[in-house]
Amino acid sequence: MIYEVFARKTRGEPLRHIGNVSAPDDELARVYAFSTYDEEKWFDMFVTPRDRLVEVFNRREPIAPQEDA
Amino acid sequence: MSQATTSTALETAAVHGLILCLADSKRLLGMRYAEWILGAPELETGIACASMAQDEWGHGRLLYALLKDVTDVDRLEHGREPHEYRNIEALDHEPTDWFELVAINALVDLALTVQLEALADSAYVPLRQRVAKLLDEERFHAAHGAAWLKRLATAGEESRARMLDSVKETLAQTTRWFGPDLDDAQALVEAGVASAAGSALRARYLDRVRPLVEPLGIDVAAFANPDFAGFDPATRRTAGSTPDAATIARIRGDRNRMFLMD
Repeated sequence: MIYEVFARKTRGEPLRHIGNVSAPDDELARVYAFSTYDEEKWFDMFVTPRDRLVEVFNRREPIAPQEDA
Repeated sequence: MSQATTSTALETAAVHGLILCLADSKRLLGMRYAEWILGAPELETGIACASMAQDEWGHGRLLYALLKDVTDVDRLEHGREPHEYRNIEALDHEPTDWFELVAINALVDLALTVQLEALADSAYVPLRQRVAKLLDEERFHAAHGAAWLKRLATAGEESRARMLDSVKETLAQTTRWFGPDLDDAQALVEAGVASAAGSALRARYLDRVRPLVEPLGIDVAAFANPDFAGFDPATRRTAGSTPDAATIARIRGDRNRMFLMD
């Protein structure tokens, strides 16, 4: 499963997408995100399974709700 | 003890001995992690091994440096024979598979951490000043070991059986490493150098191990009274045993001896 990794440098700063890791579960995803991205000094860091990201819209396609095919 | 340093020569020697046990163990543990940077089951876990290797070598360095006033650190790092090493025996040979490495990660690394935690408020100031940073880095090692142990323990019968074998073998060595209840070790506790030793420290360790090995059906009580036949408390090893020659050649950096600088 692919997890997207988000982090920020200071409290109050918006979360930034910094990359992704592949892991079988949340626990290992946390560990892998930490070991892969701990080169910089982050204030906090989060992971979420990629398939839990719900798309609101994108600019490649019409913004209006699409008809189901 | 209220002074900043240990009060007797005997205690000082015992502290230095303990530091060497920890430093050698961390040096070898770092190498064991490094051996899996390539060839680990996932790219991400290889990266984690690289990170843990780096941490352990840093910890080893820092601990060796604590001995610079009493011994030649350069010789400690590059000039010793196998019988002079004091690493925990579980690190004597290269792990043959990933199950063994996971057992080392979850159980050996944790044993060293529990020992370090007992020194976190040490009356021996040079040690106390350094232990907090080490323990902070160890949290991630523990999370990695615990997550992998759980994964392999619950990934089907064959995986579970192999994980069980590695855990039992490693646990026998780590629990023994805390040693029997001896006056020397107890003197360090009474002097405030360590908060626990021997069976008391082993009990702390087993409390931490219990949830990790529960999925394997292991009762940690079975490891509370190790067999100390042949155990040398000064080295925390079986008298006469040594890490293997290939391990020591790599740890010492024999291939690169010509590049050693003063």
